[in-house]
Amino acid sequence: MGYASAIKSALFKLILVLLAIALASGIFGSYASCFVAEALSTQRFSARPNSDNGNDVLGGEKTRINWEFQANESAPITGFTLVFPEGTTFNEEDASVTLMDDSGTTPGENDHLKRVPIQTVYSIDNLDFSAKFLNEVSADAYLEIRVQNVIFPQNGGELMFKASVNLANGDIVEVRDLLQINVKSFSFADKLAKDLSEQDWVKAWNSNDFLRLFFNPPVLVSSFPVVMQGFFTALALVLCAYPCAIPLGLLLALMRMSKLRLIRAIGSIYVNIIRGTPFFLQLYVAFFGLPLAGVQIPSFILGFIMLFLNSGAYLCEIFRAGIQSIPDGQTEASRSLGMSSFQTMFFIIIPQTIRRVIPTMTNEFILLYKDTSLLAAVGVMEVVMYAKTIVASTGSITPYIVAAFFYLIITIPLASLVGVLERKLDVSKAANNQVNVLDENDISVNVKDESDIDGSIAPSIALGQTQVTLQEDKNLQNDGAKNG
Amino acid sequence: MDNKEVIYQTVDLHKSFGELNVLNGIDLDIHKGEVVVILGPSGCGKSTYLRCLNLLENVTSGKIYFEGNDITSKGVNVNKLRSKVGMVFQQFNLFPHMNALKNVMVAQQRVLKRSKEEAKENALRNLDVVGMKGRANYLPSQLSGGQQQRVAIARALAMDPHVILFDEATSALDPELVREVLQVMKELAQSGMTMVVVTHEMQFARDVGDTIVLLNDGKIEEKASAYEFFNNPKSQITKDFLGHYSE
Repeated sequence: MGYASAIKSALFKLILVLLAIALASGIFGSYASCFVAEALSTQRFSARPNSDNGNDVLGGEKTRINWEFQANESAPITGFTLVFPEGTTFNEEDASVTLMDDSGTTPGENDHLKRVPIQTVYSIDNLDFSAKFLNEVSADAYLEIRVQNVIFPQNGGELMFKASVNLANGDIVEVRDLLQINVKSFSFADKLAKDLSEQDWVKAWNSNDFLRLFFNPPVLVSSFPVVMQGFFTALALVLCAYPCAIPLGLLLALMRMSKLRLIRAIGSIYVNIIRGTPFFLQLYVAFFGLPLAGVQIPSFILGFIMLFLNSGAYLCEIFRAGIQSIPDGQTEASRSLGMSSFQTMFFIIIPQTIRRVIPTMTNEFILLYKDTSLLAAVGVMEVVMYAKTIVASTGSITPYIVAAFFYLIITIPLASLVGVLERKLDVSKAANNQVNVLDENDISVNVKDESDIDGSIAPSIALGQTQVTLQEDKNLQNDGAKNG
Repeated sequence: MDNKEVIYQTVDLHKSFGELNVLNGIDLDIHKGEVVVILGPSGCGKSTYLRCLNLLENVTSGKIYFEGNDITSKGVNVNKLRSKVGMVFQQFNLFPHMNALKNVMVAQQRVLKRSKEEAKENALRNLDVVGMKGRANYLPSQLSGGQQQRVAIARALAMDPHVILFDEATSALDPELVREVLQVMKELAQSGMTMVVVTHEMQFARDVGDTIVLLNDGKIEEKASAYEFFNNPKSQITKDFLGHYSE
């Protein structure tokens, strides 16, 4: 939404400027005779953003209209009428007309920096907002008109204005420029925020500086959907980067344990550099260095690549420690059966390693997810970036609290999952209860039918064994029920 | 015994770990169907010798011939050799992430390239031999030490090995679990399997062993038939060793 509206408004401005240029040139061009001469060319027609994210013009909220134009007539302008779109409310209080003139700082070029207020009488007739200048204005004046306290209709839309100007010779000339403002509809959250801010308890709550600053209910409500967009970005980033980082980490781990010195060295250098420098610095190098080197990568993609490369190095060390924690006996047993070192690694060692390192890997996921916040520094629109934007426009710290919520919603469940996994691993060490990941459907053996087998070998032992095993079975089932 | 086909022939086998000489010239022939029991005090090199036989240790010098082929020469297909030589470890070394059946199946499928069905059928047959068919879908952690070791024996058996090496297969077991494993080994010996057994179980050596070898300081101190070894030991060291056990 952020990008789309920014691009849209940029395009809109561009079109306005192009239109203005086209119209202005049209006056002096060959088509001039075909047209009624244009009274003016609009340089700017906009409303001040009034949303909490600071980007949008919302319906149902007060805003301010700005209209700047360059008069082109031979006759001076003496007044104007601006017709507001249906459903808009406004008043003439605080409306102003200003002549923007050359302050003279840049010789030969009118910089419109000198502001001269023009005495004006306003009148309102339904949607018509008319003004009559009391001062005389020159024919080539550059004027700025402001109308405060404008409230657009709540459902928004691309609202069109109409305008005409009164000239000193008595003519009324229609303005042909496109006077349009894109008004966002008032979202549910914005409406809720507005309703909240009118509640007495909210006012009482906000009378406490601390509560207002950190837990301002209306800001909390209105910033929630905005920050949530960043949440989706961050989640998408980490959900793309982390699964890709797992094979990279595994590859690096195998490289670091290779018999070949060169391969080992490459793995070590990579891992040590990535782990030995701050991720923040790596981001700066990539995001500012690559464009200078002529490599243009969209920031989301580059963010993904950086998270992937970074996490790969950390996962490498997790896997390496995991692989080295598997007893040598496993390798020996596998090799003594004739399995190659490759088969041993992939069928025997790695499956056991993965199970052991799942808690640590989950922790790495948590770390990586939190690290997406660093991408705010290089302009990726993630959680912190959105929160920062709202903080800048509202001055409330509350959006950061909302951002914290979007981190905790992922990290707390995962952290407790790590706790469960670790406990389970401990149990499996103590009572040797492990989970079987292989499908057991293809085993068609009657488990209970074993009395004759054990009986021939050690009847007394077998009896005890069966009891123990049944008890273990029960434990396993209990575990399963709990976890299920 | 000597008229039977020789499976293993070791010639002047030396093995040292750095400065430490563990094997100091071992000459030993192992024949088809023979049960060779290797005895000796700890640190005498019994296990190292066994591990040299399937190249889990690289020999320092000397030769090992397996079915007539020099396996100490370069370019030997180690994996192929090992697929013909079963090994049972002191610590069982079952794969903990696989149930008993999969433990017995995996090498059949990966090394011998048997189909899943064939491997499964063969695995169940061998689990039956060791009395573990009923626990086929139990994980190693759900089995007692003795049961795990029996599965490990089935795992070795399923590869249709020409010889099985037992490296102190009962040493890590609780006393009451030793019997079931020895029973399986005994049945295996009676079925004609060639076995090299490193053990401390004198009774087993006496009952099951064809040839007893006493290793001391990396050398063969005495080699004799089981009857001769226990009833008429020649070497003083053997006498002391046996005396130590009979106390």
